[in-house]
Amino acid sequence: MSRKPYVRQMSKTSWFLTHSRYKHYILHEVTCIFIAIYAVILIFGLFRLGQGPEAWQGWLDGLRSPLGVIFQILAFGFAMIHTWSWFKVVPQAMRIQRGESFVPGNLIIGAHYGVLAIISLFVLILAGVA
Amino acid sequence: MDVINTDIAIVGAGGAGLRAAIEIAEADPKLNVVLISKVYPMRSHTCAAEGGAAGVIKANDSLDYHFNDTVGGGDWLTDQDAVELFVNEIPRELTRMEHWGCPWSREDAGTVAVRPFGGMKVMRTWFAADKTGFHMLHTLFQTTLKYPSIKRLDEHYATDLIVDGGRVQGAVCLEMSTGKLKLVKAKAVIIASGGAGRIFPFTTNGAIKTGDGMAMAYRAGAALKDMEFVQYHPTGLPGSGILLTEGCRGEGGYLLNKDGYRYLQDYDLGPATPEPVLKSMELGPRDRLSQAFWHEQKKGRTAASKWGDVVYLDMRHLGEKLINERLPLVRDLACSYVGTDPVTDLVPVRPVVHYMMGGIHTDIDAATTIDGLYAAGECACVSINGANRLGSNSLGELLVFGARAGRHAVEHIRTTKPAADKLVEKQASDAEQRIKLLFERKGKERVSVLRNELTHSLEDGCGIYRSGDLIQATCDKVSEVRDRYKDVMLEDKSSVFNTDLFQVLELGAMIECAQTVAVSALERKESRGAHQRLDHVERDDVNYLKHTMAFYNPNGDPRIDYLDVVITKSQPAARVYGAAAGGQHI
Amino acid sequence: MSTRTITIEVLRYRPEQDQEPFFQSYTVPCDEDWVVLDALNYIKDELDRTLSYRWSCHMFVCGSCGIVVDGEPKLGCKAFVKDYGDKIRVEPLGNFPIERDLVVVIDDFIEKLESVNPYLIPKEEKSIDDGEYLQTPAQLKAFKQYSMCINCLLCYSACPQYGLDPSFVGPAALALAHRYNMDSRDVGRKAREDVVASHEGIWECSFVGACSQVCPKDVDPAGAIQQTKITSAIDYVTSFLPGGNR
Repeated sequence: MSRKPYVRQMSKTSWFLTHSRYKHYILHEVTCIFIAIYAVILIFGLFRLGQGPEAWQGWLDGLRSPLGVIFQILAFGFAMIHTWSWFKVVPQAMRIQRGESFVPGNLIIGAHYGVLAIISLFVLILAGVA
Repeated sequence: MDVINTDIAIVGAGGAGLRAAIEIAEADPKLNVVLISKVYPMRSHTCAAEGGAAGVIKANDSLDYHFNDTVGGGDWLTDQDAVELFVNEIPRELTRMEHWGCPWSREDAGTVAVRPFGGMKVMRTWFAADKTGFHMLHTLFQTTLKYPSIKRLDEHYATDLIVDGGRVQGAVCLEMSTGKLKLVKAKAVIIASGGAGRIFPFTTNGAIKTGDGMAMAYRAGAALKDMEFVQYHPTGLPGSGILLTEGCRGEGGYLLNKDGYRYLQDYDLGPATPEPVLKSMELGPRDRLSQAFWHEQKKGRTAASKWGDVVYLDMRHLGEKLINERLPLVRDLACSYVGTDPVTDLVPVRPVVHYMMGGIHTDIDAATTIDGLYAAGECACVSINGANRLGSNSLGELLVFGARAGRHAVEHIRTTKPAADKLVEKQASDAEQRIKLLFERKGKERVSVLRNELTHSLEDGCGIYRSGDLIQATCDKVSEVRDRYKDVMLEDKSSVFNTDLFQVLELGAMIECAQTVAVSALERKESRGAHQRLDHVERDDVNYLKHTMAFYNPNGDPRIDYLDVVITKSQPAARVYGAAAGGQHI
Repeated sequence: MSTRTITIEVLRYRPEQDQEPFFQSYTVPCDEDWVVLDALNYIKDELDRTLSYRWSCHMFVCGSCGIVVDGEPKLGCKAFVKDYGDKIRVEPLGNFPIERDLVVVIDDFIEKLESVNPYLIPKEEKSIDDGEYLQTPAQLKAFKQYSMCINCLLCYSACPQYGLDPSFVGPAALALAHRYNMDSRDVGRKAREDVVASHEGIWECSFVGACSQVCPKDVDPAGAIQQTKITSAIDYVTSFLPGGNR
């Protein structure tokens, strides 16, 4: 008689359903799809702009359609989730040491939100909204 | 049976074994080393050492101070040539650990920091927060990976030494994942398998500390020396027996009885000053502190807890910052296991079996009386610890004597010619037969029952204070258990990772070790260091300034003999602690 | 001392007689301050000598007793019974082959540990007579956290990346490489790069972060890996600059 190690296979298609932390991870990963689609739409907008005023207006109308608005709300929501989940882990990837101690993680996260707010404000001012 | 040919086999891959392996690999990369261990190296119990390793490095210190502290701390049962060599070599060994990457705690200037420790006159204990042994073990293990000549047999349980023609020829071991026996033929063998604290029911020692290597050498004819000296560490967590390092007191913690009184001042350790003074009060030696607990208990001044009688370790005045920086593991353990946070609460503690001063008799080169067999670390007794080891001398010991064992094993195989080895195969097959028999025999004695009876009997007869009648009862009990063990039951007959089998084998080793402890204790009719007898309360230098040597006897009590203590420059005197000891103020 | 009776469901696998693992229940009277490991020891001593598992120190430092308790990788000695219900499910660590019962085969991890050159590679050998390398408390602090790993392998059990692709070097080994890379006395980063910065190394990690969440010693291997990614990426970019090696 001898060894016969038993190998448990992880399902390639459903592993992320097996634990809540994996579900969070997948949520975080899935949110980027919406952000990517939104980026494609923006680039498409640039393309339409180059085709003349009518094309541009069509693109704008598309965005303002109920479907367009729903998509943008969803994309915005997911972008926020994505932002939150990324900012949360920044202190792990970016440790800042001052002498014998490290800059507290919350400060680093706070700084990221601060920069996000400033850039958002800048963009809104550029867009003439604020 | 698989046969592995090597130059040097090492049994045990804790601090001493790993250090020996590196020494050999550096001395001669062409020599093959086989490192046999029943656990992966990083599981070895060196990892549980917390406080630190003493070595003279600071300008206010001297080798003589370390020598005197160690010899006096050991109640003059130390061999002074060994101690002198030890204190000389340890600073270099600790520096070498630094060069290998050990993360020693530091002073602002970048030099290595030292902390106070019990029984030491000057601060000289190098430390890595409160995980010194852990960092040393991992540093050593990771360093061994540099040397291709070191081959490991992880999770292999060594069962027997092969001794033929008056010389060691190798060892037999069991591969735990298959149950297969392997014969490791070697020209020299180093045993570095640790202590046997598990022969007591309440111990800081991990499950693996069952004295396997001690028993193996003992059965092969080597003497077990000074086995009656068993160290109780004064501050274990009640219930679990988990160690809280002496560093707690080194950093300034107090020991309080149930009235909040620093009771050590009543036992020639005072006066009680708010700031720690070396060699005084909480920084007295471990034997004296554990004995003080026993007296407090008799006086009814210990506190009752759900885990039995306790005193309190008070670290509240040290502050959260210092505790987090220097005693983080202590905080974690106390919070988790007894629900008290040292930053805000008193932590209940009680003495707990921690270390065996005794072990396989070796000379200062780590050589045993069997040609080609060496021993180092807790399993060995080179007699630097005498009747009571000072805290932070054992991590140094495993480096100094681990390295010496390696060096002298290399020397040995260079200078000796191959011996006749016609009995090697036969001894190996005998070892195989013994294990086979366990599988075939029915047996009716349960391992857990025998172990329970053995360990509790040791606690009853060979605890902090002992007396002739109680030790005799323990001797009788151990003999009885030894007899019953011949009919031990192996319930699991499988071959893959059969932990029932290993526990049966471990119990066999524990019984041999326990018997040497009890019989040696019975024969030593005096009180010295950790061996305190209520029926012989004085130290007796006329009759007992000598080492107890226990020799194996398959059919009865060990044969006891004595060996003179080596005294070079320190004549036996009274042990002095407290104000008169002149310890450094911190 | 008060006791309560709990049921421990252990995933058993005896290779010589079982085709696949199955759960076996044991009824255990527990003291209130027991850990799951104590319950396993009770089973071994009183109920079933054939149950196999690893353990030693019982104080969170030897790293032997990693198991999965109610779906979560834990040290058996740090999983307090009082934190669980009356039925506790105990399984061997995930992502490793089961040798037997709660014992897993960890050869793969050991090989990976060995592959990252986890030892100090100094700029130049210093004689012992010249004393220690100087290292300030701040320099020590820079890597100390990553030196705390006890190799308990809870991180490998929690890491889906390792589960999906066993060639991944994995959290503990990469964190250990980072420990030496961050040590002020060490210059071995280049020597470790072949393994560490390979596809099976840091770039296989997608930062699920599970390793750091289950680590009983707060080593934060996920952080170590992301930091190594940043350093490696900077190395790559600077290699194209004048004086770079591309």
